[in-house]
Amino acid sequence: MTLLKDLTIKKIHDGLVNKEFTAFELTKEFFDYIETRDAEVQAYLSLDKVGALAAAEQVDIAIAKGEEIGMLAGVPMAIKDNLLVKGLPATAASKMLENYTAAYDATVIKKLKEAGAIFLGKANMDEFAMGSSTENSAFKATKNPHDLERVPGGSSGGSAAAVAAHMAVAALGTDTGGSIRQPASLCGVVGLKPTYGAVSRSGAIAMASSLDQIGPLTKTVEDAAIVFSVIKGKDPLDATSVDVVYGDELLNPKLEDIKKLRIGLPKEYFIEGMDDYTKGEINKAIEKIKSLGIEVKEISLPNTKHALSCYYIIMPAEVSSNMARFDGIRYSRLDALQENEPKTLLGIYHEQRGQGFGKEVRRRIMLGTYVLSSGYYDAYYAKAQKVRKLIKEDFDNAFKEVDVILTPVSPTAAFKIGEKTSDPLQMYLSDIFTLTLNLAGLPGISIPVKQYEGTSELPVGFQLVGKAFREADILGIGQFYERIR
Amino acid sequence: MTHITEETLEYLAKLARMDLADSEKAKLAGDLEEILNHFEELNEVDTTNVEPMTGGTAQRNVFREDEAETRKEMNGSADDIIAAFPSHERGYLKVPAVFGEQE
Repeated sequence: MTLLKDLTIKKIHDGLVNKEFTAFELTKEFFDYIETRDAEVQAYLSLDKVGALAAAEQVDIAIAKGEEIGMLAGVPMAIKDNLLVKGLPATAASKMLENYTAAYDATVIKKLKEAGAIFLGKANMDEFAMGSSTENSAFKATKNPHDLERVPGGSSGGSAAAVAAHMAVAALGTDTGGSIRQPASLCGVVGLKPTYGAVSRSGAIAMASSLDQIGPLTKTVEDAAIVFSVIKGKDPLDATSVDVVYGDELLNPKLEDIKKLRIGLPKEYFIEGMDDYTKGEINKAIEKIKSLGIEVKEISLPNTKHALSCYYIIMPAEVSSNMARFDGIRYSRLDALQENEPKTLLGIYHEQRGQGFGKEVRRRIMLGTYVLSSGYYDAYYAKAQKVRKLIKEDFDNAFKEVDVILTPVSPTAAFKIGEKTSDPLQMYLSDIFTLTLNLAGLPGISIPVKQYEGTSELPVGFQLVGKAFREADILGIGQFYERIR
Repeated sequence: MTHITEETLEYLAKLARMDLADSEKAKLAGDLEEILNHFEELNEVDTTNVEPMTGGTAQRNVFREDEAETRKEMNGSADDIIAAFPSHERGYLKVPAVFGEQE
């Protein structure tokens, strides 16, 4: 069989169809490898060997019967632990949900199951997706497969590390301010945050509902396009999902069309914040893209400097509302507290929430409660919503001149474990280049500048930003970039 | 400069229905102050006549027929949902007494 590290979705599909290996054998080989490799990387919170092997057998039966199988049939995937898979734990890496088992499938999971994808297990993350390093998991810290002393990024750090360490061929993550793209960049894999509304959020444990999107982490841009094409679409269970028709160019981009796209480099993203190594790598990517024959020019997004403040008001405000449902009554209760439980319901809320949430979640609940509280609402929350509009208008104006925008993903490569845990503002700056897209609702993809595996260098990704629902543009440029890098 | 007093912290904790440990209060107040002071830079942005942006991409109402549906047709069944509840008996959800001795 092909080595695990060389497998892509396309190669698995061909291998299965040509009967080079079975889905059962492949799945088993992944679990064998996870057993040794994940002892050091710690990407998974839970595995589902029984369910995965049973699903793989179904794929093999279909192939034996001569049925036509889809591109994702038999493809081993990791699923971020804030996405519901019926019958499996969904802890969102929080003590608050330690004993919770999902009662239904998220819409994206339902679609992947119908496509025959195999779920190996649930991936580690920052608690309730709040963080940029996966150090905020209540259970364990995931390590960067390129350097075990460094973080994989976050919050989808388990998903990114699983794919980078070849413990899954693809993964699903969620992205509220960069939580797919930043770990993809730090781990050297591809990460796509779709347009807000392109993918149903039903069955994702909500963090900040106007910013959250589910998307794939994969080894190649082509694979990201395949997963996206399966999970996208309008869903009656998510009223914000949108009915959009994506053309053939989503999966089969043509170079002659790609060459016509104009790329903008927003000067505000290149002024400060980036370290020299990152800057050097990003410049290499820009040169390569120019060599495809694509026009690249400087543009301006003047309100960029206000995005961090805007995001860190709106996001915690929505967090404090969404976290209200975790009351120790409905989903899961901390066992340790039950013996001497307070007598009033209010007392139970206070105690369960007080001890069930970790530090960062508590900090954001308090911050969100503050900016929404009487007397401060207008000064913070209402102001931030207006600034959000201005940030969106910056993009609208830029997209009159260009079709795609290129930026860095993260100001630095992977940092050391523990380096930023004591200073929240420093950690928040990790998302400075990615969170603007969530505010504006735009699609973005992180693509590794080059192949980093086997080198001593740390991975760096660059970001392509598309117009709303124009994932095809950024995936298309990415696919041609991949062939020449 | 925003100053977060212990009373403010207590008030927020009460609104958030979340106990705070005494040992975390000083650090939490300091973190909140630092973050809130960072937000003051937004005062330099002129937002006169700017409409607030309240959501994601398509800002329009979505309607559906007002008909009863069971979760089974959509996703999980009632039994699955009940089984996922921490405490239940004969199809009923069990919660602690709502009215306690005080408050």
